[in-house]
Amino acid sequence: MDIDVRIPDSSRAAAADFGDGSGVSVMAGGTIMMNLLNSYRAQPSKVLLLHKAGLSYVNQDGSTVTIGATTPLADLAGLPAPLGPCAANIGDPAIRGQGTVGGNLCAIASEEFPVGDLQGALLALGATVRSTGEGGERTEGLAEFLSSGGSRLLLEVSFQLPAAGAFEALRRPHTKHFTPLAVSGALASDGEVRLAATGAASTGVRLSSAEAAANDPSEAGQAALEDVTLADDALASAWYRGRTLPTLVERVLTQLKEQA
Amino acid sequence: MKAVGARLPRYDAMGHVTGTTQFVDDVRVPRMLWAKMLRSPHHHAAITRMDTSRAEAMPGVRAVITWEDVPLLTYGHLEALGIPADEPLLAKDEVRYKGQPIALVAAEDVDTAMAGVDAIDIEYSERPALFDVRKAFDSDSAQIHPWGNWYPHFEGEMDRRKIRKGDIDEAFEQADKIISGVYRPAAIEHVPVETQVCLAVPESDGRLTIYSCTQALYFTMGVIAAHLQVPLNKLKVVGGTVGGGFGGKVDTASDTVSALAAMKAGRPVKWRWTREEEFLASSTRAPWHMEIIDAVTDNGWILGRKMLTLHDSGAYARFSPYGVTKHSFHHTGAYTIPNLHFDGYVVFTNRVPTTAMRGFGVTSISFAVETHMSRVANELGMDPYEVRLLNANRINDTSPNRIRYTDPSTVDVLQSLAGAEGVQLEGAYAGMTRDPRSGDLLPDHLVGQLKTEGH
Amino acid sequence: MRIEVNGAGHNVTSPPLASLLTVLREEMDVTSVKAGCESGGCGACTVLIDGQPRRSCLTPVVTAVGSEVTTVEGLGTPDSPSAIQQSFIHHYAMQCGFCTPGLVVAATAYVNGGGSDDLDSVAEAISGHVCRCTGYNKILEAVAAAVKSSEFDLSSTAVDKNTVVIKTGGAV
Repeated sequence: MDIDVRIPDSSRAAAADFGDGSGVSVMAGGTIMMNLLNSYRAQPSKVLLLHKAGLSYVNQDGSTVTIGATTPLADLAGLPAPLGPCAANIGDPAIRGQGTVGGNLCAIASEEFPVGDLQGALLALGATVRSTGEGGERTEGLAEFLSSGGSRLLLEVSFQLPAAGAFEALRRPHTKHFTPLAVSGALASDGEVRLAATGAASTGVRLSSAEAAANDPSEAGQAALEDVTLADDALASAWYRGRTLPTLVERVLTQLKEQA
Repeated sequence: MKAVGARLPRYDAMGHVTGTTQFVDDVRVPRMLWAKMLRSPHHHAAITRMDTSRAEAMPGVRAVITWEDVPLLTYGHLEALGIPADEPLLAKDEVRYKGQPIALVAAEDVDTAMAGVDAIDIEYSERPALFDVRKAFDSDSAQIHPWGNWYPHFEGEMDRRKIRKGDIDEAFEQADKIISGVYRPAAIEHVPVETQVCLAVPESDGRLTIYSCTQALYFTMGVIAAHLQVPLNKLKVVGGTVGGGFGGKVDTASDTVSALAAMKAGRPVKWRWTREEEFLASSTRAPWHMEIIDAVTDNGWILGRKMLTLHDSGAYARFSPYGVTKHSFHHTGAYTIPNLHFDGYVVFTNRVPTTAMRGFGVTSISFAVETHMSRVANELGMDPYEVRLLNANRINDTSPNRIRYTDPSTVDVLQSLAGAEGVQLEGAYAGMTRDPRSGDLLPDHLVGQLKTEGH
Repeated sequence: MRIEVNGAGHNVTSPPLASLLTVLREEMDVTSVKAGCESGGCGACTVLIDGQPRRSCLTPVVTAVGSEVTTVEGLGTPDSPSAIQQSFIHHYAMQCGFCTPGLVVAATAYVNGGGSDDLDSVAEAISGHVCRCTGYNKILEAVAAAVKSSEFDLSSTAVDKNTVVIKTGGAV
């Protein structure tokens, strides 16, 4: 079966080729889609390749950072916590050079385990997402974007540099693995503490109960368990995640306090 | 002795670092077909209907191989050792593990071979599956093997590997303490970076050249010849460059079916497993359930040991009867225990068949024995080195299968280990040797085993 | 589509989303890139694209158009091995050899990129590569040594050369 392959040369052309997104599979770095194609798990009829769409950039304007959708993960390594360390924790040098911000954020949670490492870090940073698709272009919070189920084409993400940031993750036995559990924290310049976890639900999730108890890291760690519905999967058991989540939250909050 | 202690170049190193070493997948022959396998999606099921005609009619498909194409369908890996055969090369009327091979499609390219597999019409009737070796003996357990849930063909049609030595009941009567432990190492996939792969080439003189990743070339040759019912001189098996094996490439996993497809299509056929197939359907190291119960004295002697091994063979026997035999020989480890009661069963489950991996059978029993020795020391409040040295094999001691040790190295190894760990042994233990037992080191309970003659 | 591999051009006949791995192996007979998992997990198919390490199994061939692809064949030959290839031999940093081309490629990117001889840094650089034989230590040593030196002794030092009858690069 021949696949209709589109290689747009601008973000505008990409938006046109994407249309309302129906029947379109998007490939940026290829680390997810090629795996599906190689194993016959995906047999798409139309594929949008974004490597020439001009969406690879990290811009800083004052305290606002804007990252294009096809920016490789390697290019985030120099950014402050939690985003920089979170990106550096993904894969190995080759995968980070290939995998993109958009691909990672839009990774569809498989039935086997949660994916999308950057979701937690960018939720903690209060990031907004500019995307295109049905109804044209729009900008919204990352949580709203994620809840729309990956049916839109992500163009870029923006966030304000935090006053302090921290990232803690369970160690992975091999770079192939997705992180079984990670916690990101950011202290905004207005004093708000935001916490988010990856690996504790099918997408990244804010830890609002833990945020409410942020002054006491230990208490916040326990409170975080109320914010998540943990599951058993190939990467870790719910029991193990439940035992380690409070510790990661406590470590992140302690680091935020030390930086503040 | 010029080679001892000298640097020796690896003869294959330059090929490895420059990418010129030729592995099976790198061999190039013209007009080669690619193969894909239809595998069981169920752990245990009857095959109620199979029709390959749609696949065979597809453009680009050159051969479909099913059980009907195999001259000798069922051949045992250890038939030469008297272990009967139970595993068909391709499933006939039932499947007993998820991933079991059923039908191979050889086609002009990989995509067509894959489409051919998808075009095979097959129906199953699922059956209850068994995964827990501990439940295999229950009367209401799923029956999963025609021989019963455990292997019944040890010598003399025994249903277990059995050791009885000394007087186990008396040992337990005399014991100050009974110390028990259960040890359950899990299955391990070998994960060679080169997956199972074969290239079979029909030659113009009627012979077959088979490029194989086997670890055991002449063994593989015999297995292929038996299934194909051809004399050995019809086969030229080319091996020697293996992209990692670790025991997992002793079983002849890909060669025979590739050979059949090459013969049927009259074309070279390559069958390279995907990583997913390797994890799903290639053999693993077995998981074991091991129970040890020791009769011990307060001063650290182990008078007797009762042991049960349940060796998870997976769906077929393969080499497992040999593996559990290793357990029977090694179930006292490097130590002398005069009164023994050992039962080892090869238990069938609906897991992938298990096989050799690095020290077949010995690593698992050693894990159990050494962990248990530390447990004994812990429960007696003794130093773990001292308990081991006290019970260590000495010259003239006898093994569970009544072999007399002529030069056991247990004492020396333990002393070296203590030294490496910076542990200072007490005088009597530091000065201990492998010499025959005498004095305090020959208590009454160890006298009898010295007199054991023959096997 | 035309791609450049080890300095030579090649007109691709596979479809645009075919993996670079498949094109290299099956169209061009560049067999040093290995199909270990075809899902990005083993590192055995790693190539350099414009000098950076990439998984050829995860690279649609069309995205390599206009870039320079380098495999281990392009880094050195048996007659003229690179420093890293020499270091791997000198340190016995391989056994079966199946993962070795990918590791040599990743190590080359690391050393050329100014990587240090700190073993933790080396470990991070090769962390995407699975080797089931060596236990990695000799590989780490080989890469770290290649950071500091460009020539390595590949001969035996005590054995009469006439006793070594098997030539390098022998396959089957």
